[in-house]
Amino acid sequence: MIKKIICLLLVLSLVLQGGCWSRKELSDLAIIMAAGIDRTPDGNIRLTVQIARPRAFGGGTVRPSAAQENNAWVLSQTGETVLDAERELEKKVSRKIYWGHMVILVLGQEAAREGIRSLINFFSRSPNARETLWVLVARGKAEDLLNSHSQLENTSAQSTGSVLRDAVGVPVMLKDLIMMLASKGTNPTLPFLELTASGAPQGPGMKENIPEAKNKQQKVTETHAEITLTGTGVFKDDRLVGQLDVPDTRGLLWLTNKIGPGEITIPSPAEPGKKISVNITRGKTKIEPFYDGQNARFEIKITMEGDLWEQQSTEDLTDPKIFAAIEKRMAQRIEQRVRSVLDKAQFDYGLDIFAFGESFHRKYKKEWAALKDRWDEVFANADINIAVEAHIRRTGLTTKRIF
Amino acid sequence: MAAFFKKPLRPRRVNSIKNGPYQEKKQTHHPSQSLLLSTDIDSNLNYLKAIFQDCSDVIFREFLLAQNEQIKLALIYTDGLTDKTQISEQIMRALTLEIPMVVHGEEITRANALHFIKMKGLCINQVRESQKIEEIVSAILSGETVLLVDGHSTALINDIRSWEMRAIEDSKTETVVRGPRESFVETLRTNTSMLRRKIKNPNLKIEMTKLGEVSKTDIAVAYIKGIVNQDLVTEVKSRLEKIKIDGILDSGYLEELIKDNAYSPFSTISHTDRPDRVAANLLEGRVAILVDGTPVVLTMPYIFLETIQTPEDYYEQSFFTSVIRILRIGSLIASLTLPSLYIAIISFHHEMLPTPLLLSMAAQREAVPFPVFVEAFLMEIAFEIIREAGIRLPRPVGQAVSIVAALIIGEAAVQAGLVAAATVIVVSLTAMASFTIYYSGSITIRLLRFPLMILAASLGLFGLISGITIFVVHMAGLRSFGVPYLAPVGPIITGDLKDSVVRVPWWAMNKRPYLMGQNNPQREASRLKPQPSRPKK
Amino acid sequence: MLEKGKIDSRQAVFLNITMIIATALLVVPAMTTAHANQDAWLSSVLAALLVLPIAWITVKLSSLFPGKTIIEYLEEILGRWPAKVIGFLYLFWFVHICSLMIREYGDFIVTAFMPETPLIVFHIVVVTIGAYTIKQGLEVLARTNQIFLPLILFSLVMIMSLATPEKDLNRLLPVLEASCVDIFKGSLAPLAWFGEISTFTMIIPFLKKPTEAWRIAFISILLVGFIFTLLVIGIVTTFGPSVAAMTYPVLNETRVINIAKVIERMDPVIMSVWVMGGFVKITFFYYVIVLGSAQWLKLSEYRPLTMPVGIILLALSMAIADNLLESIHFLANVWVFYAISTFELGIPLVLLIIAVIRGRGGNNN
Repeated sequence: MIKKIICLLLVLSLVLQGGCWSRKELSDLAIIMAAGIDRTPDGNIRLTVQIARPRAFGGGTVRPSAAQENNAWVLSQTGETVLDAERELEKKVSRKIYWGHMVILVLGQEAAREGIRSLINFFSRSPNARETLWVLVARGKAEDLLNSHSQLENTSAQSTGSVLRDAVGVPVMLKDLIMMLASKGTNPTLPFLELTASGAPQGPGMKENIPEAKNKQQKVTETHAEITLTGTGVFKDDRLVGQLDVPDTRGLLWLTNKIGPGEITIPSPAEPGKKISVNITRGKTKIEPFYDGQNARFEIKITMEGDLWEQQSTEDLTDPKIFAAIEKRMAQRIEQRVRSVLDKAQFDYGLDIFAFGESFHRKYKKEWAALKDRWDEVFANADINIAVEAHIRRTGLTTKRIF
Repeated sequence: MAAFFKKPLRPRRVNSIKNGPYQEKKQTHHPSQSLLLSTDIDSNLNYLKAIFQDCSDVIFREFLLAQNEQIKLALIYTDGLTDKTQISEQIMRALTLEIPMVVHGEEITRANALHFIKMKGLCINQVRESQKIEEIVSAILSGETVLLVDGHSTALINDIRSWEMRAIEDSKTETVVRGPRESFVETLRTNTSMLRRKIKNPNLKIEMTKLGEVSKTDIAVAYIKGIVNQDLVTEVKSRLEKIKIDGILDSGYLEELIKDNAYSPFSTISHTDRPDRVAANLLEGRVAILVDGTPVVLTMPYIFLETIQTPEDYYEQSFFTSVIRILRIGSLIASLTLPSLYIAIISFHHEMLPTPLLLSMAAQREAVPFPVFVEAFLMEIAFEIIREAGIRLPRPVGQAVSIVAALIIGEAAVQAGLVAAATVIVVSLTAMASFTIYYSGSITIRLLRFPLMILAASLGLFGLISGITIFVVHMAGLRSFGVPYLAPVGPIITGDLKDSVVRVPWWAMNKRPYLMGQNNPQREASRLKPQPSRPKK
Repeated sequence: MLEKGKIDSRQAVFLNITMIIATALLVVPAMTTAHANQDAWLSSVLAALLVLPIAWITVKLSSLFPGKTIIEYLEEILGRWPAKVIGFLYLFWFVHICSLMIREYGDFIVTAFMPETPLIVFHIVVVTIGAYTIKQGLEVLARTNQIFLPLILFSLVMIMSLATPEKDLNRLLPVLEASCVDIFKGSLAPLAWFGEISTFTMIIPFLKKPTEAWRIAFISILLVGFIFTLLVIGIVTTFGPSVAAMTYPVLNETRVINIAKVIERMDPVIMSVWVMGGFVKITFFYYVIVLGSAQWLKLSEYRPLTMPVGIILLALSMAIADNLLESIHFLANVWVFYAISTFELGIPLVLLIIAVIRGRGGNNN
């Protein structure tokens, strides 16, 4: 018995003695909230990280004093690869760098033009960084974008994450990006963000330098800037080639069947100067590919339902004719948007960014094998017909405008 | 059926008494053993007086029979264990004064005195005869009154036992909102009467035996014939017979002496002070052991799942019970793993927490100087100290101490930045969770919490799960009197699952638990689902 | 008989399922998808069908020699010395599988959760617990598994259903794009894993109802095939063809779960599934080795062999591959052919033919 116990103790001590191999106390971690990647002129990688400063958040009873401290620490370092740059950072940061809670990965505009595959590999491979982090492209440098604060959230990274989740852009997580890059049937798109002026700074640590503001010699100290969604970056394979503005982004969302909450504003059929706004409650897009051996053709059928929530004009909504006219205008409006982004993709860029290739693949699996390597070309020459059906289901709490 | 007890484990060797005899048939170790009375009352008295020398509570009272004053009588009893009024009224008075009223001309001689006294003289309802000195000695010590008659080598043993005892009170350890309140007391006979009152059936057998070389404690083995598996009774009795110990002061002695796995921290025998629980166990085919001098009754076999069962489960409505049982399973898991899970997450798996929670935790931990393991471990120990103090302290100060402890540990430690608030929450939640489950189970769980914390601190979640794996393997290997400890989950016994995590309504529990009651599986009629009776056509 | 305990049919089914699914769920989907792309689920169904003959041969052989494991009945079929050789080869194969499993077990935890901890720590822990279990016998392993398997399956179902928002059934289209050859190639990896059912031969003698062996094997394969196919469908609908590039697709699947910002970051669940399932699988093979060796050496008790075998397993598990990629390459390319062609199908088939021709075994009935 005693022998057994001694044996057990030996094994236990062997297993437990160095128990600290993988142990990282929470207070030994530098929690990275966001990372940004830029390219230096000599081809190296400049990694910018936003590290949370828990001391400043206050937890439970230890509230910080009134003078607001900065919630995050932003610093940059250059290296040959992302990991190399991280090691460089470790020389400065007293704690272990921890990627597990990174919310956003920002790719600098210039870096994205040279290809993003090599930039994101580290994040897709490391077990620490998660596939669910948001990937986005910054106008200008990622470093500048990260050097910002949020009025509502602890860090600008969290605020950006929430904006991407809820707002009207193409939300792309790392896993989606990887799938888009792996697929021959589509080209990736990433949300495009920049800093814009957003009211007065609410505390001493809340001033940012907006690139424009600096040029115009404004009173920089009084401006607060938030990271703002301003469009969509278009990629040819993994290189950034262009940018879609916000309305075109809406068109993109319609075409990829990802339309979320949003609104459509149309001029009133009766009083041209006034507008009507409809809140979209449901939108569905069906894409059907056809192939005759030469050319591809796509039939796009969009169905939309919405609630009329704002009416500047005074027409009588109880009149079915007027109602039908409004619905027709809405359909036209959607078609116009979709057509606009399709034209850009087909004629300006010559890129399928809508995953039409994938739906083609599903229907014509044999033909696909021959077409997949020149798909963008086929797409650019394809005929695309759009049919939109729009319905207004409800008109809010009022039927007729009487005031 | 022999395979039923696949692993009859050796009971513990008892070293304290080397070759001491246990039953009177065997060799002697007391001078009086197997000796018989003589016909001479004086020599008998001298002999007994020698045995009870310096036993100030043993009273010898010599007197003469009323009718025939040649016949000397002697009463021997232990003061405090007998009803003195009855001795005076029903024995002394009867024999010294009232005998002439019943003589009716008969002659009382030396030869028929004993018979006459027994048949006509004593107003005692329970009288037996004995010739053995050893039996007489033990009768005196257990409170019976011995009457010696001159010229006879036979003594009359009158049962007029009566002693001070605690009144039947509410159960202290297992309280219920709905259901019987009474609990066992220290007197064996009262306890068996409580069982008998619940099960009025001749098949309820209560077999008596005495254990303890010195203490001679009365032990009762209770079971219901026809329901119980007879092999189980034999096994229990044979394990009891092997016990040779000087004294049994509580059923806890027996539990450790007859349990299956001597080295397991898990108890494989249930103990309770609630008669209803024991009665329910008996009805399911279990065996109960009652020990004189303690209100705690053992029942066996015992399976792990009973840790989350209470008597009240069977009195409350089944839906409520099922929900509460799931809650208790949650508590069981929480009280075992919560601190270690906390340690594992805070020091290894930060990716498990949602980001806002992580940041809030990180903010709390900024000020704390210790690693989370040290912190949680110290807090757990502090809690155990408070708990222990709460039990041991004289009742009046208990309240004050617990308030002070809560203030110091809860408030001051957090304020001083010695402990993170989250740790306090985790430790107190764990403590509360451990009180929701059956007490003897929760002792084991509380003990096992500490190795798990060490494992979690060194290997994170992997260590925690490995630790749990060891426990599960260990428990899967345990048997309680032939019944697998983890039944009905491992091995799965489909029929018994209806009284496990959930409890189905009474009308659906047709069968007794398979492993205990397979002898006589049907518990109730099969079509009992209540419904309004159909109108007659 | 060396093992005194008996296990009932349900326990046997549970053991078979855990024995196969525990490790298959982690590495095999990627191997299958590498060949068959979105048709991987077809490969999985095919593998479940292809494994039926293997199971049938295993059970049939066993039924010819009731109460005997393969190590014992080899002697009746082949005679003493050839039996010793083949028996040794079988033991070697079990040792090989087991040390591979231990290696996989440690590799996953190191890769995905605790990169700084030495591999051997995890190996020591699992082998020690395994040894403790074996000391207590087959029954205890079977009971433990009856508790673990429901937990494992529940976790898998939970993960798969929580990841539903990320899934798109369109990713399964087009069906049958991969050629039949590709689908067959894709089915080889799951087939090699499902073929581990041939180890069932070692516990058939300890069934309470040995006559139900074929039913047990059949139901086990059915359930394993079903679970595995669902798993593959779940993964492919989440990630599409990029599954092929992942090391542990199920882990990735778990990591993308995000419901209402509350139910997210569930990867420890997969770790628990892996630790519990891996433990049962490793212990099962460990047990088979210990029991088989005792029978091979004609010992009267198998427990004394537990420690030596454990140490051999530990040493082999560390030496068996240099790195993760090597072990995965071995599993995907060499293991598959080596396992199926010889020990799972080849040798049992030959044995069955010899046994039937010589008419042996029948007279034992």
